[in-house]
Amino acid sequence: MAKLVKDLMHAGLITCKPTATLGQVAVLLNQHHVHALVVADRDGRALGLISDFDLMAGEWLSSDQESLAVMQRLTAADLMSHPIDTIEASTPLADAAGIIMEKKVSRLMVMENGKPVGIISLSDFIASIASEIKSKRNTVCDVMSDAILVCRGKTPVVSAARAMTSSGWRSVLVVDAKGKILGVVSGHDLMHLIRDGVDESLIVRDVMHPALTIDINASLREAADMMIQNYHHRLVVVDKDDPDSFPLGAISTFDIVAEMARPDSVWQK
Amino acid sequence: MPNSSIGMGEQDQSEREKFENELKAILKACKDAGILMRVIGSLAFQMHCPQFGYLQAAMGRAYTDIDFAAYSRQNKQISELMAKMGYVDNREVFIATEGERAIFDKPGTGLHVDIFYEKLDFCHAIYWKDRLEVDSPTIPLAELLLEKMQIVQINEKDIIDTIMLLLEHPLGDVDDETINIKLAAELCASEWGLWRTTTMNLEKVKQLAGYYPQLSDEQKNKVASQVDEILARLNSEPKPLAWRIRDRVGDRIKWYKEVDEV
Repeated sequence: MAKLVKDLMHAGLITCKPTATLGQVAVLLNQHHVHALVVADRDGRALGLISDFDLMAGEWLSSDQESLAVMQRLTAADLMSHPIDTIEASTPLADAAGIIMEKKVSRLMVMENGKPVGIISLSDFIASIASEIKSKRNTVCDVMSDAILVCRGKTPVVSAARAMTSSGWRSVLVVDAKGKILGVVSGHDLMHLIRDGVDESLIVRDVMHPALTIDINASLREAADMMIQNYHHRLVVVDKDDPDSFPLGAISTFDIVAEMARPDSVWQK
Repeated sequence: MPNSSIGMGEQDQSEREKFENELKAILKACKDAGILMRVIGSLAFQMHCPQFGYLQAAMGRAYTDIDFAAYSRQNKQISELMAKMGYVDNREVFIATEGERAIFDKPGTGLHVDIFYEKLDFCHAIYWKDRLEVDSPTIPLAELLLEKMQIVQINEKDIIDTIMLLLEHPLGDVDDETINIKLAAELCASEWGLWRTTTMNLEKVKQLAGYYPQLSDEQKNKVASQVDEILARLNSEPKPLAWRIRDRVGDRIKWYKEVDEV
């Protein structure tokens, strides 16, 4: 029997108030280690979603003290996306994957009897791919490091999904034999597997997309700018003087959110 | 009504012909030298609006200089050509703008030539890459429209030029004697600030066109319908995530660059 959305969703909603500042949202995202919060009113009604991507606007647009002051005053209600894309809990997972691909979103709010009961996100789908292969095979290549997750172009996609899940990463970097970056496989690249079925012969080179790189000396604002303009959650950090060498690391929206959540950050003042 | 008087005022026919004849001479010299320069500014609107170009003089829109778009790879050839034609290069401008702009003065004539290399970069940047080959002798009509619409503090002269353009040319998805609003919509979808300024100014054009006694009711309606069609196209163009997030922040953060007068 086909799995349903309710089998995979994250039950319950992690919420914030509409009046929460970007700094407060950053703290909540960091505490719960999630990519988005449901913005809910005092009666618990879901008004919208605010994600780590929305928070990138804080760094992106704070080019001077004046704009920083404006952005510090912005609230979750100002920046949230709405209405929230929803899906019925009884929907087959394959259909849900299709909706996520079609709408180009990262999560859907799950509804049952007209009420929100949870969230299903890209991370949940990636985990489901990983768990599926676990049941079929005994050994799977594991991640090399949680600082930077890499694989070669011939790595099976299901192995990459397993590695992404166990490391808690949403993407894996694909490199050649000398460490030169070939591309990136992200959750969105794997959605086809949910919709069309897991094909164990697929390798990451078949599904990867070009990597977005940033110099190690670039500012956080430049990183946020690049992420938001290109809709990438993670950038590969390289040495601009030697861009073909093995990457130095990666910076994600989580890293920037964590920085914004620090007690001594400008976002907490 | 915007209150700047730059480019506004009566200008006798001989003065207008001085600019127009000089423009023709420069264009011919460019053609002979294999230099790609395209006219922008008031004279471009005049050249590309043969039917409604009379409105400039009728509405008191004066020529003040001769403006061109060009590629920076030809900047040396352009400097040499301008020198041969008796112009003096204002080198400070070229250096201060890091080669993005050059101003040439012709002593004793009151003629100035302003050249914008690679892009027009005032409140928002409009890039020339692969676009100067599209039309001749001016930049394409879509860029002519955006040249005016990207100015946050838009002046009456810019409103008049835009009205002429909208009366003269149909809207469409191509460049050939058509204002390519497909391209304009794509550019505005790639930068929220350009969309914000352009839509704001289009509304101003529509509103102000209604007050000009030099325009017939039919012409006023035509301008209004053209503006409505462009706005509908700009607003219906799919927008990327960055645009949508920037839209939520809105006017709370300044969305344009201040223009430095040269």
